[in-house]
Amino acid sequence: MTQRQIRIIYRTCWTLALLIVAIPFVFPFLWMVSAGFKSVTEIFGAPSLIPRVWRFQNFVEVFTYQPFARQYFNSIYIALAVTALTLVISSLAGYALARMRFAGAGLLMLFLVSALMVPEEVTIIPNFFLIKWMGLMDTHWPLILLPTFGPHGVMATFLMRQYFLALPKELEEAGRMDGLSRLGIWWRIALPMSRPALAAVAIITFLFSWNLFLEPLIFLSSLEMFTLPLALSNFTDTYGLPLWNLQLAATTLAVVPILIVYLIAQRQIIESFALSGVKG
Amino acid sequence: MTETILRQTTARPKDVPWLSLKYREMLEAWLFISPTLIGFLIFFLGPLMAIVYYSMTEWNLLTQQATFVGLDNFQDALFVNPDFWHVVRNSVIFALGLVPLNMALALTLALALSRPFFGVVFFRTVFFAPVITSAIAWAIVWKFLLQGEAGAVNQMLAWVGIDGPNWLREPNWAMAAVIVTRVIKMVGLNMILYIAALQAILRDYEDAARLEGASRWQIFRMIIWPLLAPTTLVIMVITTIGSFKVFDHIYQMTGGGPENGTLVLAYYIYQQGFEFFDVGYASALAMIMFVIVMVLTVVQVTVRRRGME
Amino acid sequence: MTGLVLKDLKKRFGGTQVIRGVDLAIEDGEFVVFVGPSGCGKSTLLRMISGLEDITSGELYIGDRLVNDVQAAKRGVAMVFQSYALYPHLNVRDNMGFGLKVRKVPAAERERRVNEAAATLKLDALLHRYPRELSGGQRQRVAIGRAIVGNPDVFLFDEPLSNLDAELRVHMRSEIASLHKRLSTTMVYVTHDQIEAMTLADKIVVLRDGLIEQVGSPRELYERPGNLFVAQFIGSPKMNILPAASARLLAPFATPPASAESVGVRPEHLAVVEPSDNVLRGKIALSEYTGAVTLMHVELPNGQTCLVVHDGKDLPAFGSEIGLMADRQNLHFFDRNQMAAQQ
Repeated sequence: MTQRQIRIIYRTCWTLALLIVAIPFVFPFLWMVSAGFKSVTEIFGAPSLIPRVWRFQNFVEVFTYQPFARQYFNSIYIALAVTALTLVISSLAGYALARMRFAGAGLLMLFLVSALMVPEEVTIIPNFFLIKWMGLMDTHWPLILLPTFGPHGVMATFLMRQYFLALPKELEEAGRMDGLSRLGIWWRIALPMSRPALAAVAIITFLFSWNLFLEPLIFLSSLEMFTLPLALSNFTDTYGLPLWNLQLAATTLAVVPILIVYLIAQRQIIESFALSGVKG
Repeated sequence: MTETILRQTTARPKDVPWLSLKYREMLEAWLFISPTLIGFLIFFLGPLMAIVYYSMTEWNLLTQQATFVGLDNFQDALFVNPDFWHVVRNSVIFALGLVPLNMALALTLALALSRPFFGVVFFRTVFFAPVITSAIAWAIVWKFLLQGEAGAVNQMLAWVGIDGPNWLREPNWAMAAVIVTRVIKMVGLNMILYIAALQAILRDYEDAARLEGASRWQIFRMIIWPLLAPTTLVIMVITTIGSFKVFDHIYQMTGGGPENGTLVLAYYIYQQGFEFFDVGYASALAMIMFVIVMVLTVVQVTVRRRGME
Repeated sequence: MTGLVLKDLKKRFGGTQVIRGVDLAIEDGEFVVFVGPSGCGKSTLLRMISGLEDITSGELYIGDRLVNDVQAAKRGVAMVFQSYALYPHLNVRDNMGFGLKVRKVPAAERERRVNEAAATLKLDALLHRYPRELSGGQRQRVAIGRAIVGNPDVFLFDEPLSNLDAELRVHMRSEIASLHKRLSTTMVYVTHDQIEAMTLADKIVVLRDGLIEQVGSPRELYERPGNLFVAQFIGSPKMNILPAASARLLAPFATPPASAESVGVRPEHLAVVEPSDNVLRGKIALSEYTGAVTLMHVELPNGQTCLVVHDGKDLPAFGSEIGLMADRQNLHFFDRNQMAAQQ
């Protein structure tokens, strides 16, 4: 056998193995969509990926069972708000940490680094009382403020800082010679050159907020205020048992659009996560 | 010309700003950082301080307010309440199951997918897809798939003649199910980190080793694996910490059950704090979690530093 | 006896043909240099010889063994990489002993051979160091040492000096040359630097676009380039190419072949004379003084610029008009296909 043939056989084996491993990664998505179109009786019948009867009614009932459209909107606008706020705040702080000299920088870095790894579960109890004291229970404020200023925001700050550090300093110095203020340099030179980092922060922040669960669970109580993950887990009957066909239809509605965006921009999205992980 | 200028500098020009350049830059820097810093103080450092105090109080539905009780809560957790050690045991089992499985799978996939070949993008996309999916959605679907008789997983196992257990109703199987589904959800992230690390390793190392007669396994064992060590360390710590803070996944899939079989630390904190409103005790648990995370982080930093020397 | 024979070697990456049929014989003990512009396929050819790249078609013999499907490690070759490829987590001793270790050579034997190679290359004092603690030249030597330890039949060098600064490059060049004298093993060396090729090679192979342009000793290539490309590639500064009609002005007794389109003359072969109608006239547009010689850019009446190396005495002034002449045997004629024109 030639080297070439050996390589082809080797590769084919790997590909087959990978296809088998891929099953539990793909299968849940397929099953979720399929079950979303099934009736309750069919769901518990013999399993088949294609529904015998397509029950589009599920997708109507999703919206009548809870204010699902409103909940969907909540998730979108909160995620956008968190993303925008994080972008501004983390790039400002990241810029200062990367480029400006000031007393206390080292200590500050140490403080921030220590926050990186701390789970939200650790601080959630005092934050609960803080939000209550501020009178912001059952509002969206905690869902915007906590992610922005918590460990995730710190991570974004460090990601921006790393990126700014790698930019050529000369361009900014040229900007200074041209009479730009610090804010001007940040806005007109540093930010435009940092599009990849900003995109990475935007992507992971949006998804972070979109998938957030503990905070909504603790701070929200009225249905109209719910975000998607909370709404999804709420498709239960009076005994707390899941209404499978509705729950899966709703999950499909929540997951598929993100999945489509992911399929289109998979390269960029995967790279964003790689970027955020490497610095850790 | 120069002499006149030299003479002039002794007199202070009129347009000198009130702040020297150095202090001006400092002030600007603090202004740039202030939003992050203020938020950090209010929503992170403040609460972190508060939790130290909370953990030393008795504060529950009965007392309604905080009374200082010293280390009672910790004593309660460590020596009195059997639940605590049960939870710790669960958390450790969860971590011991999840971390090696996740890392082994991530490394294998990364080795297979770090070089371009036909289909590489497809596979990377597939293995990473669950990472961007909400944990709640993921848990909902798997809970559905893992139901006793009617679940798709068991029906498919039946085709090949295996009588699957009622996964989420038996404590040990439930733990296994939670671990495995969590690995499938998160392995893509570590895979990507490993791929990035592998791609940073010079191709020439492998070529040189091949020329010198090393087998694929020897190349991996003697070249790639040692060069990956820093990445492996980081991934190990991140994944371990991640395993201690898993909440939503377990909340949705098992609710900590059955028979508290999947009750792990993060869920226990939530349960004690927000379902049973035992704030003091829950805060003590949160402190313990904080210490665990800090220890892991310090271990990572020290090991990494030693590796650099 | 380990010469190499390449028979109609071809390499295809997907749709692009990188090596388009190379025939070459390399004698035992010969120092052969592959040279050519970047992208000409010289490194690919070397990697095909090493076994790191497989061969799309054609035959490759090392000694008298057909090695097309022999694994890289079993071809009896060692390679020095451009990046050196020293394992960063192993010290010099372990780097050099790596190949012996995976081949299960006993520790004592391994030790002996590593020490021997280290002594040859004066690396004794560095054996416990890690690659990051070495200078560029030291790394280079370790990379060579690693190749020597395996006692190969053929050494392959892939642009080994391109990461060194100019001074070190000259030094290492002579070290490699003396290494070849000492070992007299067959060596194949890839470079894009024609000076490296000229100084090191017994035989130079000029490659372009996956094909051999010419094979010959450095002197042959310099004195009798087979075509325009080789003529301009070998020698620095580049050979001047002028219309064939200029030949009679440069050398009165020149006899251009009938098929000649152009004439080439090297800048160092041009002599400055008084301008007259019987010589090639030109105006000095620029003079670059380099110490030993001065490089003059002479603007010809047809608008072309001709380079002239002048030894520096009685340097003509900027803007002045001069005449140029050359010896008849230093003229190279090329036909319309850019091949050397036959008499």
